[in-house]
Amino acid sequence: MRSDIDLAQDAASGQEAAFEALVRRYQGNVRGLTRRLARHAAEADDIAQAAFLTAWRKIGSYRGGSFKSWLCTIAYREFLQARRKQRPEVEFKESAHILAFDTSAARMAEHMDLDRALKTLPENQRICVVLCVASGLSHSEAATATGFPLGTVKSHVNRGVAALRKQLAAEDVA
Amino acid sequence: MPTDENYHDLTALFEAQDEALQSDVFVEHVMQPVRKHSRWRAPLLFGAGGLGVGAALSQMGGLFEAVNVRAASLSQSIEQVRATPLDSFATEPLWLGAILVVIVSCVAIVATERA
Repeated sequence: MRSDIDLAQDAASGQEAAFEALVRRYQGNVRGLTRRLARHAAEADDIAQAAFLTAWRKIGSYRGGSFKSWLCTIAYREFLQARRKQRPEVEFKESAHILAFDTSAARMAEHMDLDRALKTLPENQRICVVLCVASGLSHSEAATATGFPLGTVKSHVNRGVAALRKQLAAEDVA
Repeated sequence: MPTDENYHDLTALFEAQDEALQSDVFVEHVMQPVRKHSRWRAPLLFGAGGLGVGAALSQMGGLFEAVNVRAASLSQSIEQVRATPLDSFATEPLWLGAILVVIVSCVAIVATERA
């Protein structure tokens, strides 16, 4: 399997096939990230698509390191831009859970538990958990992406993780 | 304080969700505008460049004639400019101006391409 940096270099020289390989490799991560942040799945996929198109335009500026983190940072910025264009944030509806394509009942229930638990977190905490725990950004990468101080990111992640575990444990018992 | 390493279990759950989101339809949605953009970009750039080169070449004959006609007065003007004390720019102001224009143009092109 070709490395991200090789594919990115080929994509930067205009090879669409190389970029398509990167889209296939990371579509799940980017769509997962945007679905955890946005209110609706359709809106999240629009943001994910915009993120990939921005990545295509800026692929020449990728200088190595984790391609996933680079891409997720772009996706997070696209989410912020999309949110600025919308009316003020409203609370998530309980019915707006992420429904994955995996239809196995146990898996679905697990995913819904995770989504439900995630959506109970305060927004900044949720953002930090999504970026660091779900998307694999380091604390310092998340601090750069969000503009939060490093200590704040660590604190949000630790509290968010603790809250998620508590929620998931409570749902397991119930 | 705990480190990044203490939530592998949750990361695994999120990764399982992400795996379930693989979709050829989504990839096609992303790649359609990419292909469209690529299809037009090269012909547009090369076309515009070719037109520019063509226009420049077509003017070369006229330029040589004009230079020949005005060579004497041009030399005189250049000599006058050189003779005028203009601090550090007194040596080659025309060249400095031309270089500045080229640099600004290059920077503008690079900035536009990266934007």
